[in-house]
This record gives sequence, C-alpha cells and structure tokens, in this order.
Amino acid sequence: MTFEEAKNYLLEQARNAKVEAEILATETRELSLSVFEGKLEDITSAVKGGIGIRVEVGGKIGYASSEERSQEALDWMLQEAIENANLQTTTDGFIPTGSALGRQDLLDEGLSGDLAQKRAMPLEMEKIIRADKRTDQVDSTGYSEYDSEVLVASTKGSSGGYRTGAAYVMGHVIMTDGTLKKSGWHYEAKREVNALEPGQTALELVKKTARHLGAKPLKTGKYRAYFEPKAFIGLLSVFGEMLSGKNVLEGQSKLANRLGSKIGSDLVTLVDDPMLADGLGSQPFDAEGTISQRLVLIENGVLKSYIHNSYTAKKLAMNNTAHASRNYNTVLSVDFSNLFLEPSTGVTLTDGIIVTDLMGLHAGANSISGEFSVQALGIKVEGGETLHAVENFAIAGEWLELLQNIVGLGETLEWQGSLGSPLVEVAELSFAGA
Amino acid sequence: MLPETLLSETIVSEVFAKALSGGADFAEVYVERNRTRLVRLLSGELKEATSGIRYGAGLRLFYGVDIVYAYTNDLTAESLLDICDTLLKLKGQTRNVDAKGRVDDKGKGGLDFRKAVAKGLHAPRIALSSKDKRYRLERLLEAEAGAKVAAEIKQVETFLSEGEKDVLVANSEGVWAEDKRIRTRMGVTAIAQSDTDMQTGRNFPGLSCGLELFDKFPPAEVGRKAGEQAMTNLRAELAPAGTMPVVVGNAFGGVLFHEALGHLLETTSVAKRTSVLTDKLGEKIASDCVTYIDEGTTPYGWGSQEFDDEGMPSEHTTLIDKGVLKRYMVDRLGEMKTGYPRTGSGRRQDYTFAPTSRMRNTYIAKGNTPKEKLFEGIEFGLYAAVMGGGQVSPGSGDYNFGTNEAYMIRHGKIEEAVRGAMLLGKGPDSIQKIVAISDDLETASGMCGSQSGSIPTEVGQPHLLISEIVVGGRA
Repeated sequence: MTFEEAKNYLLEQARNAKVEAEILATETRELSLSVFEGKLEDITSAVKGGIGIRVEVGGKIGYASSEERSQEALDWMLQEAIENANLQTTTDGFIPTGSALGRQDLLDEGLSGDLAQKRAMPLEMEKIIRADKRTDQVDSTGYSEYDSEVLVASTKGSSGGYRTGAAYVMGHVIMTDGTLKKSGWHYEAKREVNALEPGQTALELVKKTARHLGAKPLKTGKYRAYFEPKAFIGLLSVFGEMLSGKNVLEGQSKLANRLGSKIGSDLVTLVDDPMLADGLGSQPFDAEGTISQRLVLIENGVLKSYIHNSYTAKKLAMNNTAHASRNYNTVLSVDFSNLFLEPSTGVTLTDGIIVTDLMGLHAGANSISGEFSVQALGIKVEGGETLHAVENFAIAGEWLELLQNIVGLGETLEWQGSLGSPLVEVAELSFAGA
Repeated sequence: MLPETLLSETIVSEVFAKALSGGADFAEVYVERNRTRLVRLLSGELKEATSGIRYGAGLRLFYGVDIVYAYTNDLTAESLLDICDTLLKLKGQTRNVDAKGRVDDKGKGGLDFRKAVAKGLHAPRIALSSKDKRYRLERLLEAEAGAKVAAEIKQVETFLSEGEKDVLVANSEGVWAEDKRIRTRMGVTAIAQSDTDMQTGRNFPGLSCGLELFDKFPPAEVGRKAGEQAMTNLRAELAPAGTMPVVVGNAFGGVLFHEALGHLLETTSVAKRTSVLTDKLGEKIASDCVTYIDEGTTPYGWGSQEFDDEGMPSEHTTLIDKGVLKRYMVDRLGEMKTGYPRTGSGRRQDYTFAPTSRMRNTYIAKGNTPKEKLFEGIEFGLYAAVMGGGQVSPGSGDYNFGTNEAYMIRHGKIEEAVRGAMLLGKGPDSIQKIVAISDDLETASGMCGSQSGSIPTEVGQPHLLISEIVVGGRA
C-alpha cells in the first residue's frame, strides 16, 4: 500500500472499531556522500518512512507504528494500539478536533542540482582543509540532503501535509602543531543546495580547529565566560527541556509555577519561531495539525510561556502553543521549531575565557536539576586580547544562575540546525582545570 | 501472521547479479523485521505503551574499499533492484562486468548460499508471549515500590522495552545467516527532592533474554538501587576539582574504558589512522594488570548475538593481554583496509546503517587485589562508585565522564558522597595509570552510540584504582 492508501485503510478500520484515531506518516528520501583522501568513500541513498497511529478508546490513549505497509502489519498495528490504550488507567486523553490544512511545500526546488555538483562539494572541502599544513588528517567531509513528506489525518477532521528538507555540508578534521593534536567539526545547513558555501565552511573548520593548537591547561577558578554561539546552543539544547509543558506537567522542570517571574537577566529574550523562511525547524502546523505560530518564551528575563500540545495545555489550563511533536514511531510530546536567544547590542571582550566547544553534554548536563559540569575548550582573553587556547578543563554551574549572570549578548545570531544564539557573555562561571 | 522468511533467495540472487554486473566487487543485503514494545510508567501511572514494527533492508556494495549503501522499507524485488540501480548510478562505474558463475543462465539464483541459522544460544526461557501486558505493568509497579526508599523520593519512572528482531544477512560470497535476537530491558529512574534541590538515581539492567529478566533482576531490587542512588545524590556535596587518585566502581564503571580505550581499538578509527592506538599491535599500551576482552558469545549477554551484522559467527576476542595489545575489533571493511582478520565485530543499529566495527560485551578481566586494598594509602581521592555516561575523541583520546554516584576518599576511607564530579583525561594515558584491579568483575548493559548507530553493549570491570585523573567539580 502507498502511505495515502495505508492512512485511509487505518482510518476506516478505526471507524469500524469505533475508536478515534490520528495518523502521522512520514516518508523521507535521503542522500549522503562522504569523502576520504580525495575519493568518495561513502554513498548512502535511502527511502525510509513509516506510519504511526494514536487511538483513543474512552479517554484512554494507545500508540503503535509500522514501517511495513502490508494489510497484516497495519491490522497488527491497530490491534496493538487498542490493546495499549486499554492498559491505561487515566481516561482524560483525547484526539483534538482538527481541520483541513491542505498541503504545503517548504522545500520546492531546494535540492535540485545535479549529482556532480553535490559530489564536488565534499571533495572541494577536503582539498581546502588538506591545503593547510597543520592538517594531520581529514577524518571526513560530506554532503547530505533529506526531502521529507509529512502527513497528518484523524477521524476528528484533521487532514494535511507538508514537504520539508535541507542540504548540508560538513567536515571533521584533526590538526597538529607537531606535538599536540586537536580535532574539530563544523557544518552548514541550508534549505537550498545553491546557498551552501563548501569552501567557506572548510575554511571556517580549519580556523576553528587550528586556534586550539598549543592549548595550555587552565588554572581552576572563576572566570568571566564568553560563550560562542555553538557552545551556548549546546547548553540550550539540553536546558530548553525546562520549558517543555510536558516536563512541567510531569514534575520534571524547575520552571514549574514560575510563569511571570524573572528567571534571567534583562538581556534574555528566548523565542521560538516556526515561520522563519530559512528555519530548518519551520513547519506550517504541528504533529496534531494545530497551526504554528511565533512564541516568546522568555522576554527580558521574564518567563512568559512553556511549549504545549493540546494535552499539556488542557491539563495545565494554558493555551495550546502548537508545539505538539511526534514521529510515526514515538508518542505525543512537545518540541521547539526554531528556538533562539535574541541578539543584542554586542559584547566587548575584557578578561576571561571564550568557551568555544562543549563535549559530553549528554553526560555532564542535567535538565532536571539544571546543573552542568561539562568538558570544554576555550581561549584565554586578557585586556581585551586573545592570549592562547586553553584545554583540559570543565565548566560547571547551574542553568538558571547562568541566565541571571548574562551581562552581554552579541549582535549576530548564528544557527546550529534549528537552534540559534549570539555570543553570550556571562559575568562569572566556575572553571575546573589543573 | 507475518511471513517466515524475510526475503527469498531468488530476490537476493537477482539483486547480487545486478550489483556485480554493474561493477561492484561484493554485495551484501541485511534485512530485519523488529517487533518492539515499550511500556513506561510514571508515579504508578502508565504514560506510554507503544508497539512497532521496524522493517527494511540495507544493500551495501563494495568497490575495493569504497562503499555505497542504500536502504528501503519496501522489500519487493522491484524496489530492491531499484535501489541497487540507484547505487550503481551514484557510483557511476557501470562497466558491465560479466557476472556469470555467480548466477545461472537466466540471471536468477544460482548462488550457492551456505545457510546458517541461529542455534538459540540466547533463546528466552520465559517467552515474551507467555505473559500479557498487565503482568509487565505489575512487575514495573514492584520496581517503583522498591525505589521509594525515603519520603524524599517524589517521583519514580519505570519502563520495560522488548524487541524481537529477525535478521537475515546474505552476501555475494555465499553467506546466508539468519539470526533471532530477543532483548529485554527494564529501567528505573528515581527522583529525590528537597526544598531546594532535585537529584536522580538510575538503574537500567538488560539482557538478551525473555521475561526471565525479572528473575535475574528482581524489580524491587532494581528499584531500590535507583532510589538509594537518588538519595545519596540528594545528600551529596558538590565535588571538588583537582587531580587525584580515583577508584572506579565495578560493572558500569567499565564505561570509562569502553569509551577511552574500546573505541580506539575499533578498526573504524584504526584503519583511518585517526586512533592514537593505530599500529600498536604487540606493544605495551596498558599497565601489566590490564587484560581487556571483547566477548561476543556471553550467554544472554546484552551485547551478544550469534552472528554479527555481516553474518559472521560471534567470537571471544582478547584485545589486551597483560598490558600488551593483541587484537583490534575488525569488521569486513576494517579487514580489507588493515589486513587484520575479522573478529565478528561488524554491528549496526538497524537497516538504516551500514555496519562498522563495534564492541559487544567488553570488560577488563579480574585482578587479584582485594577491593578494600584499593582504598588503602589514598590520602585524598575520589571513589566513582557508579559511572555516568561519557564520550571520547578518538583522535586525541580525550575523554570525559559523569559520575552517577561518587564519594570522597580520605586517609584510606570512603567518606561523604559528592555529586557533579566529571572525570577528564586521555584514554591511553589513563590505562597506563591503572595500578591495581580487584576480583569483583561485573558487567552492566548500556547503549553505545557511534557511526553505525546506537547498539546494545555490555561494559564491565572489577573495582580498579587509577593513580591520577583530573576531576572536574564545582566546589
């Protein structure tokens, strides 16, 4: 069966079984090319996707999914979903009433371009990276793209779809000054293949990695910290979880009951905008078919909103912010679209450490306690001048304290995927080194 | 309900004939159907009950050591021939090789597949189908009750995940291996809360087995450990920073060398010379007391499987013997690039990944120092009783790890609990600094993420003493 046929079959079977159902299906085409030592080393082409169902039986919710679209597999899936629903003890679940949403195309001709052009990108990058005499090994350079079709439909009237996708170039290098080795990676993602600048991305990677050569150990102490956007985005990717309405509802967020209170310095304005034309996380509607809109989460340091789907909003008696997220094989949750810290008037370097890279975030940062102790790389700054790179240290602190301590923000917003940040200046932070 | 064979020999042969005729030197198909179930409870309430079928095939073609890979959920002959065609075009090397001898005159079949099927070494003793979903919920409620060791435990999250994975690997050299992999894992996360603080404790045991998991790991006991860990962390002080001797706990403590040593011994990085342990076979790379094993055959081991994901039977691999590097972990591509014989280490998360060399059940063998002796003579140090997760950069060997449960050591005694301690260092340096290993070897299950996806692996070790590590803390 095609996805369209499978969707119609499942909705019909659900109606026959007298249960409400919501279907979410995705089909994605992917291509990735990677280069090693002047040759295309890996080529991966894929067609993948699946169909997921969420059913409601007397206020009980159950899920199931399948990548196999035979009638047997779809029947198994519906039966499992109903069985899973019947296990529930809570009866406050529901499938929201939806509407006809039509189909939108956010990708258009973005990925059109011949294969030769796409192949040339990582080859060019490798050449540029190798040209730097400090390059010890180019672990890989690559091009990749995805083109994804999302379908939403329910027995409660929602029906729609959209197409999204992006193209990426990336590189991973090991550089040396003869004694020490340092590795680094960098990538660039765009909606349009033609907007990629592989040469620029390669130079950026070289520059960002080479500056860590000759790194010296850092003395333990408290320093002023200047987070580069990439490093700050790392923290944001973990601690954004605190703004999840689902975590608030489940008692796993320190920001529960703090709406309207000051949780960061005046400079902190955090926005989620699903409508950005070039945003990699942009979407016309969420996984429940609720139409997306811009949302201010923190404004001048004041907590304004969490992100919600229909369920978390109803349970907390707040507005649905259209942040329902679900893959065909996962359960309903919430997620950001394009989340970013708004830039400000700029930062003047004085004395402290520029934090450039964070490592091991998943181990060292805890979104429930807000605490982090994370290995980092950086550059020492004195009297406004960058002195030398520093290594073998960890930064440690607590997220909400850090938000309070933000004293400066850069003028330029930079993106890593669907997360954005400017340069962030933090008045004081613990650095644990030698 | 579902068909028994994943893919017919005829279709596989047709695809291989097309691939070889198109210029590939070697073709391999990997097919899986994985039926998964997950239930998750939070504070006694069922939060999640999901079931799914993961289904698809991956086709890998070799041109010398160059690889092209494609995968799809559509397993019809038409679709598979189509992705094969796409790969041949992407490679752009259609040199029309005569592939006779591999196929019969009609271009169909003819490959002499040597069929190998799983012997059932890890077959469940209590089948997943023997109990209903309510039985599972009751076990998780026991785990939750076990976790409530104190009034401060405000929340307990538990889960049970099960997978029944049928796998077929066939290649143009005639390998045809069918494996059945059943894995079950239970998890408890306890959250302890005071007026000002919130801390967690975790315990996630898993095995390649059926519902006997509940006998091997009684749910109440699994919960109790998580609850006690959360309470320890709630009472813990912030860890100090500095360089100090560290005693690393057994079982999950093995994650330290999984990251800092194991990953550097995979040909995925060795072949590219991006591992600092490249070209070190026969050399002394660790202190004398270190013997390091990657075991593929542990009965019911979380990381065990009868065949690797390239169809090779699993084996026992001694990586380091008394400090001397003996073997790397080698997959097919690694063997071609380095000449080291394969070790049955080709693994992948699922059909969406081409396999690379990966760990299975990897542990440091037991030593002979009694555990108490490890602490004697340490004036000031850290006892990392339960390690957290971490990562390593294979190029430089830099690693970092969190601790889920840690204590200070003073004057040879384990004293107050500390939290937020990170262990930082370089793997090849730290393995030289292991000065003593105890005899209480245990293993623990984890998910290891790398180039070929997230796969079940066991880590393990006895308690051991490292003479110095940089500890990153907050105090």
